[in-house]
Amino acid sequence: MYIIGENIHILSDKVKEALTNRDREFFMDLAVRQVEAGAKAIDVNLGPRKKDFAEVWPWIIESIESVVDVPLSIDTTNVEGMEAALQTIKKTQPILNSTSAEPERLEKVPALAKKYGAKIIALTMGTSGIPVEADARVEIAVGTLIPHLMEIGFNMEDLIIDPLVLTVSGCQQYCPELIGAVNMLQYSWDPAPMISVGLSNVSNAVPKENRPLINRVYCAMLMGVGLQMMIADPLDAKQNDVIRWIEAKDTSTPLAALYNKIAERTAAGEEPQFEDFDMSDSDQADIWKTTQILLNKVIYADGYLNQ
Amino acid sequence: MPIEIPKDKWPGSIKAVTIGATAAEGGTRAKSITIGGQNTMPYLQFEKPTPNTPVIAIEIKSRKPEDWSPLLEKPWGEAMADPAEWAKKAEAAGADLLVLALTLEDTPDSAVKTVKAVLAASGLPLVVWGPGQAEKDNELLVPVAEAAKGEKVVLGVCEDKNYRTIVATAMANGHLVEARTPMDVNLAKQLNILISDMGLPMDRIVMDPTTGALGYGIEYGYSVMERLRLAALQGDAMTQLPMMVTPGFEAWKAKESKVGEGVPEAWGDWEARAVNWETLTAMALVESGADVVVLRHPESVKRVKAAIGELMAA
Repeated sequence: MYIIGENIHILSDKVKEALTNRDREFFMDLAVRQVEAGAKAIDVNLGPRKKDFAEVWPWIIESIESVVDVPLSIDTTNVEGMEAALQTIKKTQPILNSTSAEPERLEKVPALAKKYGAKIIALTMGTSGIPVEADARVEIAVGTLIPHLMEIGFNMEDLIIDPLVLTVSGCQQYCPELIGAVNMLQYSWDPAPMISVGLSNVSNAVPKENRPLINRVYCAMLMGVGLQMMIADPLDAKQNDVIRWIEAKDTSTPLAALYNKIAERTAAGEEPQFEDFDMSDSDQADIWKTTQILLNKVIYADGYLNQ
Repeated sequence: MPIEIPKDKWPGSIKAVTIGATAAEGGTRAKSITIGGQNTMPYLQFEKPTPNTPVIAIEIKSRKPEDWSPLLEKPWGEAMADPAEWAKKAEAAGADLLVLALTLEDTPDSAVKTVKAVLAASGLPLVVWGPGQAEKDNELLVPVAEAAKGEKVVLGVCEDKNYRTIVATAMANGHLVEARTPMDVNLAKQLNILISDMGLPMDRIVMDPTTGALGYGIEYGYSVMERLRLAALQGDAMTQLPMMVTPGFEAWKAKESKVGEGVPEAWGDWEARAVNWETLTAMALVESGADVVVLRHPESVKRVKAAIGELMAA
């Protein structure tokens, strides 16, 4: 699993505070810790930075590049900010995060990525938003994103499609469709485009204590349909266990075997079955309930584990 | 060629909930009312007959409301200033149960006095709403619940910030609660979980998923109701509750009902329009699975009652 570390994100209060104080050490430490935990790239999301982008992007890129060698993912909607960051990067091919299929963005962002030789994350989101159905999202990729990138002569090996994870708390009907979209995208083009998702989005607006479980169960399902890249929290040790168990087909413990079973079922186009779970084990019972909300079988509620 | 109509078989069903208690059941109501119990989507009588007829509540207030349409003063008249009289008139107008809304001006004493007067004036089962401010609701509903012990009153409105005290007093005094959430399936289910976690049996909860009037978001309201009902039939225990909604409150807020002047002539007669607005709002919700609709105008009550009769007979 190629994890793009998500932890430098402006929605985190600590990140916000460190950015206000221009606390170099904070960002250097957070970057190093993510790479040490296995992140293959580092996402840097500072928000739009409409006023100070010309100063803040070079500052943070230099800070992070001074301590790690991995690619940096420039995560902003501000095109000028993107360019300020791209101009600063010295070490490794960066990732531009992101363009959508909206005409205005599609016109500007891929051209920028091409100019600086960056990879690009392209979202399956058009002018009328994010479609629920898997095939409508694939259609945005093959009908709009890929043709446009080919037309401008973009190196297709540098294209990463993101079919967009939405939260189970409020956008529950999107959750099973995203699994289908990840699956279908791999067969939608030859050669298959790289696919990445923002995993933790699945638990946005979920109480903090329940987020990791939802993230790792969804991760197992998505690995089942072949996901190999995601923006996620590399510091989540339990999630890393699940990734390792599935990659190594490690079934040496009941929990490892169960996560492998979930991935296998999803790979086979099946749903996890009740009999796969030992319901006398509270961890397994919680995982079962989590599969049911993620497949939109049972309505999500904050207290779903107590039901 | 004979056509076979496909039938759904659902694993789940809605809880049957009884409101009000007769003397034999420990109260003083002339009769109790049972709602819910369905095992199919609404009115698919060929799959399974609808076990309990949806009911109509008429909303009355502890004090004459200042902000109600003059069109509502016409039928209710002087009775609006006397909850006991209003209750009698509402019963005569065909209400199956009464909703008594307390106001911010009420004190615990006045609230208890009014509830007792209404219980004495009419034998219908009763729903009592607090004025809708958490602290005041608690201050009024606890003594009301104690004074009406045994009557199986529905206490409302329980919301996520304000359910503990109301649920506790409902448990202590044998009442039910109305659980209201803002048009969202996740929040509706979550509140049901929180209330049942406190130990109140599920057959003493009526959920109110909130709705909008015709032209003002009703489609969001009935989509939520449909989704909750489908989940319930699929076996989700925390959504298997009868639903109570307030089309009267919503429809009489709409411009089409509220305003008689300065509107296009093509809108026609004000009173006819207002009653149509309330009736159509209520019927859309009944057809979406509402078990209780709370109305305001006696003419709407008559029409909705007739329409429900036709749905049940179909």
